[in-house]
Amino acid sequence: MKRSGPVVTLLAGLLLGLFMLSMNSTTGTKSASTSYAEESPEAATAAPTPTRTTASPSPSPSRTQIPDADYAGRTTDDSASVAVTLRDGKAIAYFCDGRAKESWLKGDVEDDGTMKLTGKHGAELNGTLKDGKRISGTVDIDGGQYAFTADKAKKPSGLYRATATVRGAKVDGGWIVLPDGRQVGIFTRDGEPAPAPRIDPETGAVTIDGQQLTARPVTP
Amino acid sequence: MTVDPNAATQNFPSPEPGHRRPHPARYLVPALVAAAVAVGLGVYGKVHDPAGTAFNLAGFSSTGAVKSWLGTVAFFFALVQVVSAAMVYGRLPGPRWSPALHRWSGRVAFLVSVPVAVHCLYALGYQTYETRVLWHSLLGCFFFGAFSAKMLLLRSERLPGWLLPIVGGLVFTALTIIWLTSALWFFRTFGVTT
Repeated sequence: MKRSGPVVTLLAGLLLGLFMLSMNSTTGTKSASTSYAEESPEAATAAPTPTRTTASPSPSPSRTQIPDADYAGRTTDDSASVAVTLRDGKAIAYFCDGRAKESWLKGDVEDDGTMKLTGKHGAELNGTLKDGKRISGTVDIDGGQYAFTADKAKKPSGLYRATATVRGAKVDGGWIVLPDGRQVGIFTRDGEPAPAPRIDPETGAVTIDGQQLTARPVTP
Repeated sequence: MTVDPNAATQNFPSPEPGHRRPHPARYLVPALVAAAVAVGLGVYGKVHDPAGTAFNLAGFSSTGAVKSWLGTVAFFFALVQVVSAAMVYGRLPGPRWSPALHRWSGRVAFLVSVPVAVHCLYALGYQTYETRVLWHSLLGCFFFGAFSAKMLLLRSERLPGWLLPIVGGLVFTALTIIWLTSALWFFRTFGVTT
């Protein structure tokens, strides 16, 4: 035909789109299935990701033993919620009672599924991942210890965070969406914690002080 | 005298494409493809359960900043598109390579926008909970439809002179609004971060 350039352009875009989609999908399967430990070297190399990984260039095979997944649950005394997100052998957790007590905790997951995550003011989470289905353990915060069990969570339940500056005040909101749809959240306005309004779990949309924010899934 | 048997055929409308009226398929095929692309993307975005957590893949950080920057790159090349198109049409003085500039800046803009769109559709989906989001979703789908139409129309010759500028203008307008409702919003909300 006459001019193939435009069609080549379209096809190139289509192929690129499909390629990216397949990468998304395969990694999606990885986080969804528990036993399927997939190495993703091509995802690592093809992605000049500005993630804050600590300069560890190649994902060692041991890292991929722990499947990426989200966990959410309640403390045994039912006073607070705990959510944990695992990605590439790293974990971020959020402990939140929905009123005033909250903590973000971070750390590595060991190959045997145990994790020791630490947060500000000496907060500490000790947990164990069992069969890839649930994490149980304890959270030490403000001198109290809370036992918890967090089951594997499927979207839209999980851990969300929104940070922004609203009229000069720094706001930082964290939410745990439980598998039954309940939500627990706190947002801190200039260091002052308060119960957070509900987010739309599908979109992460939330209105704080009249300003529309988007809470995003949290990854380590 | 004797009639030349070949003479009669020359009175028929010439089968030579040069004198033929454009076949309706020339407009119909690009229009149908455009509609199929736009509706297909929208339906995928609506039906597909947004994964939400595709952020850690394929170059996208969790902040969406990468998308905003890619979108900004696409928008920059879209501006180049407008200028170089004016050069091609002789409305602006331009170098001899302005057609090549137009082609390649367009390709770059399109290819840069594809990963952003894939991420939008895969992770966020077609959403309508807010005016900004509604327009972004709607025009995001429209953009790729209109772009497909533009590409396919380029293959036809002897189009009405106004058609390509109109379709190209639509593509540019759509991309502009998409950029305003996403990247600019992102930079204003979260700051110009990487």
